[in-house]
Amino acid sequence: MAAEVKPYQRVYKQSEAEEEDPRQHLMLDPRPREEMNHMVMEAMTTTSRRYWIIVGALAVAVAVLLFGAWGNMIFTGMGMAGIRRPVFWGVFIVTFVFWIGISHAGTFVSAILRVFKAEFRRPFTRAAELMTTFGLAAGALYPLIHLGRVWVFYWMIPYPNSRWLWPNFRSALVWDFLAITTYLLSSTIYLYLPLIPDVAMARDRSTGWRHTLYKLLALGFRGTEAEWTRIRKAINIFAFAIIPVMFSVHTIVSWDFASTKVVGWQSTIFGPYFIIGAILSGVSAVITILFVLRYTLKNMDYFIREEHFDALGLLVLIFSMAWAYFFYNEYLLHWYGGGTVLKQLLTLHASGPSAWVWYLMLACNVAVPWLTLWNKKLRRTPWAIFIVSILINVGMYAERYTIIPLTLGHQRFPFDWGEYTPRLTEISIALGTLCLFVLLYLLASRLIPLIPVWEVQEGQESHRLRKVGKTQVPSVSELE
Amino acid sequence: MAEVTEEKMKWGMAIDLDVCTGCNACVTACAMENNIPFTGEDESGYGRGLHWIRIQRYWHGDYPEIKPDYSPMLCQQCGNAPCEPVCPVFAAVHSEEEQINLQVYNRCIGTRYCANNCPYLSRVFNWFDYEIPEPMAYYLNPSVTVRRRGVMEKCTFCVQRIHAGQEQAKAEGRPVQDGDIVPACAQACPTDAIIFGDLSDPQSRVSQMARSQRSFRQLEELGTEPRVIYLKGGGQYGG
Amino acid sequence: MPEDPVHIALFEEDRIDHAAEALDRLRALGIRDKDMSVLSGVPYSDKILGRPMAWTRVPIIALAGAGVGFAASLALILIANRQYPLVVGGFPYVAIPTIIPVTFELTMLGLLISTFLGVFVEMISPTYGPKAYHPKISDGYIGIVFTCPPKLDQPMHAALTELGAELVHQSEVQP
Repeated sequence: MAAEVKPYQRVYKQSEAEEEDPRQHLMLDPRPREEMNHMVMEAMTTTSRRYWIIVGALAVAVAVLLFGAWGNMIFTGMGMAGIRRPVFWGVFIVTFVFWIGISHAGTFVSAILRVFKAEFRRPFTRAAELMTTFGLAAGALYPLIHLGRVWVFYWMIPYPNSRWLWPNFRSALVWDFLAITTYLLSSTIYLYLPLIPDVAMARDRSTGWRHTLYKLLALGFRGTEAEWTRIRKAINIFAFAIIPVMFSVHTIVSWDFASTKVVGWQSTIFGPYFIIGAILSGVSAVITILFVLRYTLKNMDYFIREEHFDALGLLVLIFSMAWAYFFYNEYLLHWYGGGTVLKQLLTLHASGPSAWVWYLMLACNVAVPWLTLWNKKLRRTPWAIFIVSILINVGMYAERYTIIPLTLGHQRFPFDWGEYTPRLTEISIALGTLCLFVLLYLLASRLIPLIPVWEVQEGQESHRLRKVGKTQVPSVSELE
Repeated sequence: MAEVTEEKMKWGMAIDLDVCTGCNACVTACAMENNIPFTGEDESGYGRGLHWIRIQRYWHGDYPEIKPDYSPMLCQQCGNAPCEPVCPVFAAVHSEEEQINLQVYNRCIGTRYCANNCPYLSRVFNWFDYEIPEPMAYYLNPSVTVRRRGVMEKCTFCVQRIHAGQEQAKAEGRPVQDGDIVPACAQACPTDAIIFGDLSDPQSRVSQMARSQRSFRQLEELGTEPRVIYLKGGGQYGG
Repeated sequence: MPEDPVHIALFEEDRIDHAAEALDRLRALGIRDKDMSVLSGVPYSDKILGRPMAWTRVPIIALAGAGVGFAASLALILIANRQYPLVVGGFPYVAIPTIIPVTFELTMLGLLISTFLGVFVEMISPTYGPKAYHPKISDGYIGIVFTCPPKLDQPMHAALTELGAELVHQSEVQP
């Protein structure tokens, strides 16, 4: 029995040696507000030559890859894309679902984690909300891009026209249009509300055009009790109300597919399956962005720490498991109870000419996170978790690619089966929206304070290190 | 338009697969009647042909005992059409007068949602503006609109011929008789495999064929209530 | 009658207890709560400083907006089917399952937009109480803005400097 005591002692010693320094947590490592303000202002106003070169290159890329290719397609015809009968939806809709999925992370981080008072969210809520807004801006282009006649897109808007013909409210596309409009507007407002005190902060320490801009945006915010009450009340309403909106957006996107008669799309599990996938890809994208911010923006290593990658990595692992659960649920029941066509389709996904997409999806969404993210050391290594987060988004793109063109290509009549190959225009537009997203983000990172300083200070004030015996214990004081 | 006929007709079609030879005459006639442009060999091969009717060809038996099996596929003019409710702008609607599915080209914005939701894949999309070369432009049918790029189109049961037949009958002061109205594909069929008529009249040829023991409808299990009836013997469907 | 001069007493961010004490002393000097207002860089709940509860109409405006959104969605659906009735896919003109997504989205849109409008209107509408500002507020200082009749200057100075307040005398400083 003595042999069993020995390792126990070793473990005990080890854990003692590895005892965490509580100051590695941002909330327990407070700095004076003045210093934090200065750090954030410096991060926002510092631009290097490299920054402007990248911005210029991205602007050219957006102009050529996105608007050039799109303009050409508008004037020539949808045939510039590789879509064909029976695959009427291709890369455009895949990328659309991808961006809408990415946009779920901001709301997830800043609304759900806010409601549940997860303290680690504080420094990066704004970074995530910006991702939501710009992800939606990129994604909301696709319903326009994929229209055959984009110049009459406004026929989808309910407005009184000369024939008194209104949109068809029984169509999932109209719901989609309404849901995306609602989500885009509300997430932009949700980005703006907690920004008001920070813009007021920036107003107080800037001059010139910045001062004018921030003065306008701050709406005369002084920090009175009434103003704080108002803003916090509104943020609270938003945090609770935007969660169902977020769920409804991706559910309705999934209904675009699930409400049809297409084999492989008719599935009652599509709503939650899409939501989980969206959060998985969105939280991964937050990790990607935080990594880039930490290494490109000044003073960010104080605000964005290994603990944040750690916490987000755990979330990704949990959502990867949830995704696998939904995927398996859908797959098994289709395989078990589906008709001939459905079984044929599943066989084709797993062994057809495009089977590598299906395996890529499983490898990136399940194998990679499950094999890596259980490891705390890896979760705390920013570059490692950065690579994992990119791979997950590759996997999620592959998932949507499997669901859309690879399913549409093999429907009920084998005579009409067809393979779809993306063409240059589609790839160019997809890359163009990626450039648009990065460009908007780069510009915004120098225009608005990316760290919600007041929220960080609020969190730091409610967390204190208290000396208990021989060690310091973090404690939370109830300020609410 | 209710004054054209007293009671509503329920137009339908019967296609006898046992006499279809797969000659593609219906495809050609349809293209001529409905101003369907030619998209060229490559585009057509890539699945961008604009045929409103096409012959699905399947092979039966083991080599060398192989037999082709032809099945013309066109819009089934479903009673509960899956293509209609998904359209955001009411470009795909049900006509209560003719009991067929309409595609309103001027209203279509090209989401292609209807095409995805059509289980028969009978809808085609104008990927480009297709030009009809100069001498052939004289063949254009003035009764049918031409479509531009970015809109969806499909078989209309030659609705222009239905209206012409109804007006002719009205001018002669008689009800529309069975066989008055013949769509282009039925007219061109050399073996008389395609029969068109009023399904609400039990005496019409199409109704008689619909009652045949050999009759069946495509993908009937989806509940789309197709208006096109197929006939096929060979012991498979009770014939 | 000329208005009383406005003063700001600034306290460092960790001296919240002193700020609460200063408020009590000012009240003891006879300055009413409505002549004082507290500025801060982070939100403090009213109870910490012992101030009267601040109130806002934002929740009511939000609810009203949600009602408007719901009514608008129903009206839209009913009007749309009344003005140009079209049969699609054998559906009824007004099908409750297909109404729900539309009403939900428009209700939420009304709720969220009116929340924002409520904040916006309340922010830009005029407020009562002393108006003054100091950039140190956004550095985390707690500022007590108050009007004080000149005759009370002496005891006010004595009371506040004892607590370590930094006094700024300005009649009107706007951000």
